[in-house]
Amino acid sequence: MSTDKLKVMVLDDEPIVCKRVQPALEKLGYEVESYTDSHAAIHRIQETEYDIIVTDLKMKGIDGMQFLQEAKKRSPRTEVIVITGFATLETAKESFHKGVFDFIAKPFKLSEIQDVVNKAAAKIRGSGT
Amino acid sequence: MVSPWSGMSNVIRPLRELWGRLFQPRPKPALASFTEIFDHFQELLRDHQQVMELIADLGEKSGGEYIFDRKYLADLTERLKTLLLRMVNGLNLITPRRYVDLYSTLDRIFLPLDAELRGRLSLSAEMPYVVPLKELPLDRPELTGGKANTLGRVIQSLHLPVPDGFVITTRAYRRFLEQNQLEDRMHALLESWASGEMDERQTARQLQYGILGGVVPHEVAAAVKRRVEKSESYWAVRSSAYGEDAEVSFAGIHESLLHVPPADILPAYRKVLASLFSAGALLYRNTMGMLGEDAAMAVLCQETVSSVAAGVVHTLDVADPQANSLVIYASLGWGRTVVEGTGSVDRYVIDRAPPHKIRTQEISLKRTMLGPKPGGGEEEISVPRAEQDKPALSGEVMQTLVQWALVLERYFKRPQEVEWALDGEGRCWVLQSRGLMFPKAQGWAREDVVEIGGRYSALLQDCGLVAHAGVGSGPVYHVDSDAKMNSMPEGAVLVIKYTAPWLARIVPRASAIIAERGSAAGHLATIAREFRVPTLVGVEGATRVLRDGMHVTVDTKQRVIYEGQVHELLQYELVRTLAFEETPEFRVLRRLLKRIAPLHLIDPQSPGFSPEGCTSVHDVIRFIHEKAIEELMNLPSLVRRFRGVQVWTLVSDLPLGLKILDLGGGIDPRARERKAMPGDLLSAPLLALWEGLAAPGVWSTDPVPVDLRGMISSLTKTRAEPSAGAPSPGANLAVISDSYMNLHLHLGYHFNLIDARLEPDASRNHIYFRFVGGVTDMTRRSRRAQLLASILSRCDFKVDTRGDLVVARILHLPREDMHNQLRLLGRLIGFTRQLDIQLRSDEDIPHFVESFLREHLPLGAMSLR
Repeated sequence: MSTDKLKVMVLDDEPIVCKRVQPALEKLGYEVESYTDSHAAIHRIQETEYDIIVTDLKMKGIDGMQFLQEAKKRSPRTEVIVITGFATLETAKESFHKGVFDFIAKPFKLSEIQDVVNKAAAKIRGSGT
Repeated sequence: MVSPWSGMSNVIRPLRELWGRLFQPRPKPALASFTEIFDHFQELLRDHQQVMELIADLGEKSGGEYIFDRKYLADLTERLKTLLLRMVNGLNLITPRRYVDLYSTLDRIFLPLDAELRGRLSLSAEMPYVVPLKELPLDRPELTGGKANTLGRVIQSLHLPVPDGFVITTRAYRRFLEQNQLEDRMHALLESWASGEMDERQTARQLQYGILGGVVPHEVAAAVKRRVEKSESYWAVRSSAYGEDAEVSFAGIHESLLHVPPADILPAYRKVLASLFSAGALLYRNTMGMLGEDAAMAVLCQETVSSVAAGVVHTLDVADPQANSLVIYASLGWGRTVVEGTGSVDRYVIDRAPPHKIRTQEISLKRTMLGPKPGGGEEEISVPRAEQDKPALSGEVMQTLVQWALVLERYFKRPQEVEWALDGEGRCWVLQSRGLMFPKAQGWAREDVVEIGGRYSALLQDCGLVAHAGVGSGPVYHVDSDAKMNSMPEGAVLVIKYTAPWLARIVPRASAIIAERGSAAGHLATIAREFRVPTLVGVEGATRVLRDGMHVTVDTKQRVIYEGQVHELLQYELVRTLAFEETPEFRVLRRLLKRIAPLHLIDPQSPGFSPEGCTSVHDVIRFIHEKAIEELMNLPSLVRRFRGVQVWTLVSDLPLGLKILDLGGGIDPRARERKAMPGDLLSAPLLALWEGLAAPGVWSTDPVPVDLRGMISSLTKTRAEPSAGAPSPGANLAVISDSYMNLHLHLGYHFNLIDARLEPDASRNHIYFRFVGGVTDMTRRSRRAQLLASILSRCDFKVDTRGDLVVARILHLPREDMHNQLRLLGRLIGFTRQLDIQLRSDEDIPHFVESFLREHLPLGAMSLR
């Protein structure tokens, strides 16, 4: 049963983002783990492969850019969705053309993150994994 | 940019001149040119608009649909600050330099905002030592503690009966520590416990010794005394620590003293404070990882209810959470036996769904009960033999408790544990409500919720805007009349065409609200947020698809309305998801909003309409806007100040003598000689209003005595010979652009002001309408104000009245709706301009309201009797 569930990681150093995004994605049937500490998250991706990673761009410690590169290196098939602040949206778009599935700007609606994750999931399922 | 020095008094002129020489090498012209002034004015309008949008944005975020963090709040506050500073500068350029006081107003408003963002305000001098439950500031649980905050909400938002009382705040606690010089010592003691030098018993004993021996500061003692001196009752003195009853439960860890005589409240206060540092409490906080945080104790004092029965309700059966039942525990006398798990207790398992049938009941043998001890305190009393094996509760009381418990659960969005009491006169009381703790089974309820789509049919999908996020379920109830409004059942899903403000009083009873029209920035949305009722607006076809009485479940998070009660979803929301209303980010947002969004400055004629009178960001921009317009309104002076100002005259059959200043795009460029015909108007708001004013039958309605009509036309006859370039004071003036209008209209002695913007983007649109004055006595004028107010509020405006002043606002409707509203205002201005003469008694008001609405209200609007 649980094997066909897609695994999602949510990483944001603001706890409220994790606390609200996790149940919203679980409700759609994803298996979700969330992290507020980027070191713990980077440790975790060494041992587990995620289908989808949702990460904030600006964080304390390891920033979203580094984390994204590391995640892609570990598992190129993982789809990465980047959360950015309004101010960093443009830079995010420019610098992240390669490898990122999509961006979402804070503040965002629950339904927006659900839609983006669903699209990433559709891509994964469509490519026959 | 003007420097803030420039408008100050002559005393500092030398200084100003020095600054001028240093930083402005070229001498400035005495006055800015007219085009410059108009550029500033337009910039001011744009900034005003942007501030309004930011305020609306912030309001929208309080509905729970968005995920935001503290950075968003800080950024937005910063942007507001920048805009307001620019507006203050702009006004001082336009006026010239008459409002430099506004710089200190900005400081006064923004410093506390910054403090809120840093979380530093609660213990400042602004906060009280003692505060009554009825007036508890609900957004400050860190001041009054979790338990008291909950009771404040139960009283103020849910209106359930709670024993009266007050809270000795955490600020009083800090003051207590300060006065008795305890802080450093406590810190040292806790450190030696953490390093293992002392065990928790030794630490607790020393900490408690310090508190029990402390002196209550006299300002705190005096404030407490004021609250209890008039009362003859005994008091329950309970802990209300911050964090208690919120994310973590401290149930039973801290002290509660019952039946305390008024004279013993202060010693009881010290005892409760000391219980914050009992060995048990220390261990508990350490286990929960909270020892590092500053513990702070507020203390709740409530009049004792001498109960004949008491106990708790669990809104879910902890033993079987999926069973859709709730459980009432009841004992005779005082309730402590139930809470502490001692003594004999009845247990009733009851259906959550109406009509709340009892599934099982276990009646215990009750030999003794707790009751009041003469002179204070409690003691064990024996129960008369005949009563010992009887149920502690009647069916009726159970129904009340079940209803209340479900209301509390709906509001707090979590399964609840409700402490209650039944007094000798048969009245029930809520003593406390807190989140129910139960073991979370792994993955519980999750699988079910994913497959809802397959099991329930969606009646409406992907429709509407979220005004307040959440999930609610109940029978559909349409409200289209006062009578129906009064009989709405508790927990119904309210379905309406319009989100009119007068629906506010039934909002707390609804489990969800669906409106076909209306805006997420409207008044009803604000009320829905206050009462945490999931609300969707703009749901086309809702009244047709959702039939009266049909059971539905509304999920604003997916924007779906299901047929039936989607039990899995309701449970999932209750158990698994975070109640966003309780997160720190939302609390900060609500506090910011309170200092940003409310408009207190309504009447520009009142003495409080001044820089000193501004208490919110909204007040400041309102003030600036008014004063800037006032400057432009003073046409003669404007014309004297600036040669070559282009003022248009509107030529029409209506005796308005309207002068027009076009900021751009408001008048057809082909119009000539400073004269515009109605057909030359391009300004969307002015056109809409004109449609209403000039509609057949609007200007002259019922016959009015000729002499009066003559008087009115004589008062407005500026049309006759417009003198070139020098209109008389008090002329009718419109400042317009293609999408904006600010119109001042004197009709007889009435004065109308309309400020409106109409754009394709609904979030930029607003209408602000102000009406004042009249030729008759104050009573009749007030009558007309009432008439206007009742018509406007029936047409979805948010209305305030003071005497004969009426202020109405409407925000963020789509362009067509705003157009209709302005047309309606045009008709209303025509309709009421002479009415105060005809309004002879209060009884005339409904007649005129009906006659206006019958004739002018757009089809399909609600007709309430």
